[in-house]
Amino acid sequence: MAQPLVKKDDDRDDEAEYSPFLGIEKGAVLQEARVFNDPQLDPRRCSQVITKLLYLLNQGETFTKIEATEVFFAVTKLFQSRDIGLRRMVYLMIKELSPSADEVIIVTSSLMKDMNSKTDMYRANAIRVLCRITDGTLLTQIERYLKQAIVDKNPVVASAALVSGIHLLQTNPEIVKRWSNEVQEAVQSRAALVQFHALALLHQIRQNDRLAVSKLVTSLTRGTVRSPLAQCLLIRYTTQVIRESANNTQTGDRPFYDFLESCLRHKAEMVIFEAARAITELNGVTSRELTPAITVLQLFLSSSKPVLRFAAVRTLNKVAMTHPMAVTNCNIDMESLISDQNRSIATLAITTLLKTGNESSVDRLMKQITNFMSDIADEFKIVVVEAIRSLCLKFPLKYRSLMNFLSNILREEGGFEYKKAIVDSIVILIRDIPEAKESGLLHLCEFIEDCEFTYLSTQILHFLGIEGPKTSDPSKYIRYIYNRVHLENATVRAAAVSTLAKFGAVVDSLKPRIFVLLRRCLYDSDDEVRDRATLYLNTLGGDGTAVETDKDVKDFLFGALDIPLANLETSLKNYTPSEEPFDINSVPKEVKSQPLTEKKAPGKKPAGLGTPPSGPPSTEDAYEKLLSSIPEFSDFGKLFKSSAPVELTEAETEYAVNVVKHIFDSYVVFQYNCTNTIPEQLLENVVVIVDASDPEEFAEVASKPLRSLPYDSPGQTFVAFEKPEGVPAVGKFSNMLKFIVKEVDPSTGEAEEDGVEDEYQLEDLEVVAADYMMKVGVSNFRNAWESMGPDCERVDEYGLGPRESLAEAVSAVISLLGMQPCEGTEVVPNNSRSHTCLLSGVFIGNVKVLVRLQFGIDGPKEVAMKLAVRSEDENVSDMIHEIVASG
Amino acid sequence: MILAVLFANSEGNILVERKGWVMSLGLPVMGHPVFVDKREQRFNGVPAEERLHWRSFLVKLGADNLKGVKNEELLVASHKSVYIVYTVLGDVSIFVVGKDEYDELALAEVIFAVTSAVKDACGKIPTERLFLDKYGKICLCLDEIVWKGLLENTEKDRIRRLVRLKPPTEF
Repeated sequence: MAQPLVKKDDDRDDEAEYSPFLGIEKGAVLQEARVFNDPQLDPRRCSQVITKLLYLLNQGETFTKIEATEVFFAVTKLFQSRDIGLRRMVYLMIKELSPSADEVIIVTSSLMKDMNSKTDMYRANAIRVLCRITDGTLLTQIERYLKQAIVDKNPVVASAALVSGIHLLQTNPEIVKRWSNEVQEAVQSRAALVQFHALALLHQIRQNDRLAVSKLVTSLTRGTVRSPLAQCLLIRYTTQVIRESANNTQTGDRPFYDFLESCLRHKAEMVIFEAARAITELNGVTSRELTPAITVLQLFLSSSKPVLRFAAVRTLNKVAMTHPMAVTNCNIDMESLISDQNRSIATLAITTLLKTGNESSVDRLMKQITNFMSDIADEFKIVVVEAIRSLCLKFPLKYRSLMNFLSNILREEGGFEYKKAIVDSIVILIRDIPEAKESGLLHLCEFIEDCEFTYLSTQILHFLGIEGPKTSDPSKYIRYIYNRVHLENATVRAAAVSTLAKFGAVVDSLKPRIFVLLRRCLYDSDDEVRDRATLYLNTLGGDGTAVETDKDVKDFLFGALDIPLANLETSLKNYTPSEEPFDINSVPKEVKSQPLTEKKAPGKKPAGLGTPPSGPPSTEDAYEKLLSSIPEFSDFGKLFKSSAPVELTEAETEYAVNVVKHIFDSYVVFQYNCTNTIPEQLLENVVVIVDASDPEEFAEVASKPLRSLPYDSPGQTFVAFEKPEGVPAVGKFSNMLKFIVKEVDPSTGEAEEDGVEDEYQLEDLEVVAADYMMKVGVSNFRNAWESMGPDCERVDEYGLGPRESLAEAVSAVISLLGMQPCEGTEVVPNNSRSHTCLLSGVFIGNVKVLVRLQFGIDGPKEVAMKLAVRSEDENVSDMIHEIVASG
Repeated sequence: MILAVLFANSEGNILVERKGWVMSLGLPVMGHPVFVDKREQRFNGVPAEERLHWRSFLVKLGADNLKGVKNEELLVASHKSVYIVYTVLGDVSIFVVGKDEYDELALAEVIFAVTSAVKDACGKIPTERLFLDKYGKICLCLDEIVWKGLLENTEKDRIRRLVRLKPPTEF
């Protein structure tokens, strides 16, 4: 079958436009694939067809099941050819087709044969293909060959087996783990890549065995590692060992530091960099340890290779967060990177400089950044804006130039996220730097004159309403606000009306003029705008009716809702229109979970305009409904809080029981959720016998048994206790599940008539102080703290003893108090020696509590804590101290 | 993990893509003026909104930065937790995307292996035409360099021998 081949050589380069795959079509290529079935195979032609098939696959073309099977079967025929080039293509093609399990059998024998072939390269490729398409059962059959291959003297074969091992470890870990002796041997191989692959596999096999990893690292750091890649792996594993052993060393010397330091003098840049980065990331790294690493990174900054410059500046950027002083030496080198061709490098350089720069260099830096901002993408700009914000908080005296910079970039083109970042920054600066307030507010006013984002306009208007009236000349903002009523969409107009009302409420001299403006809004085309205008005119007394007291008005206009919006939404959805009006006090205040705050990066300031954290719809109202439907509990009053379920049984026991603690003012109800996991049993009259002899303040008042508990359908039984009103009584309760058990015939599902009484011991249950504290967040802790005032403040200091880390101490205190961390302060940045954590909550009796915790840690990990509590009731403030003192 | 190795022509159309198996990145498919849905299935386990994000990020990255860049001059970026090292070779732009242990330096090693193998396969700096002519061979080279997200071979001479099923010389 002589086929006139299109000769593809260089003399056709001038026709570069013409693609050899022009007009390629799946159907035609599949037709062509029939040449695979020819008795006389033409290897060259077959290779070309495979290339076309690969091209199709790479372009995202898909084959139907039938097409794929057909091609696969045809390709397997090509094993008959002895042509080496074709065989190589066949291996690739089979991998790309990834045949299904029932098809794999066809090639298994051919591949097994190749796997034992005398030609090394057949072996290597057959291993790769087999491991790609194999499943567990086939793997046991070929395991013996794979083990041999790992120690094969041909490095390609060994590498193929080792890399296969790394992949197979994901699917068949128990098999691959049996190869560790062979892999261990391969780690000693003289071939660089084999050592690299073997090291990676060996570490993965042993990663859960600390001792083994430590031994591996110890032996290799003394021996020779041939490839830079393997050396990098070794450095990573070493840092892992250092991290894990850090707690056990008393002396100042850090194990393996010398090894890392020696890697800084390695000839491969990759290794030098890896070691430098490892050193900068050490826990509690000292400046003496840091210096050599920073020195090599500084050299990389002026490297001709962009990758090295990028890597160095990226690492220095991270170091600058924890050790800004250590990086200052590199400032000159980094300033020259601001003009780097590669924008990623330039952005990193700028943000690092913003972190390490001193007060005197701010102005010069801002000049450089201004030129640079116009030619980077929004993502990078946001990073710069955030860096400028923290710089401004660091050097408040420089607010003028930084605020100017922010307002300038606010006027330029940009997407929503970018503009939001700028606005958030300005808001935070206004809040934290009093001198910046007036100019910042004016910048915001100018921005809303020409703002295309409704969200930002409304947020700014809201903020203006709070801050504007407190300025020296509130009247100058009115024009900007009232302009919105003329020029914007309904949402913004409504927000502007609310803002006007706030000015009217606070600034008496403006009131008459505000009334004039509000009255004009009564004729707006949108009903929300009209409604708001009417409402505010009425509240402020602009329509001549009786005025509410000044305090009421201000509470109404400025008071926080105090209720998570998500909870309010669920309650409103559950409310059915009836005679009884909706009562906002019936909305639960507990914040269920706070994914928003948890996601925040360590140390990151919360967004200035964010709404208070709101959780998903709570299960609270479900509990409340359930409890109020039980007559025994109906006069207990309003449910204050329900705890998360606490397990009282181990997993996979006969009966699974957990308990939810419901707290009322004078009562506590335990709700036991029981599940029967035995199909052959039916439980009846299920009760929990609670022994409350230890906690004296509790007296059992009611118990509600569960009549019947069939297999796998959960039910509840309740026990209620009375306790002194408003007192956070604590104690330990022991629990015994008591029931009548009846045999069930599994075939019919019918239970026997007679049952036997039985008991089942459950774990103890504790009521702790945190159960009386509801997690309720505040949107601005500082404001809340100041408005609470120091009247009921209690401050004291505590020693928390030796702790693993500062973070551990912080989270222990948070969970002891059961309060809501605010503004992301529950996250402790790595390596910090001190930390401030802000908590808020509502204590039983509806007493608002705010807590400011200041932690410090010293050398031998002794943690000291200063606890400042403000609340509406001094007894509660004292109580919080008692909780901490006894915890 | 090496997430993807991508070849695109000067218009950003994809020529070859070596999938990383955790996710792969798509650019406009050659010969089609718009994105083709068929590609979507190749983004394994990446939510739809992420895909678009990645796609536009890479398209923009290439368009913004690759003009006037010298052959084989490396550019580098990081986005989210992922690193991207990319360059130009004749008519072809090459992107290598990785995460975790495959940081910018390891990726530089990968892209060096890729560019030298491509040059070797084509005999010189490739035009788009020449690249497509050597398509099959280049696929084989990639198969030797990256295997399911792991770096396997780096040296061009060795790779040249391996794609012909010849044992490496040092052996």
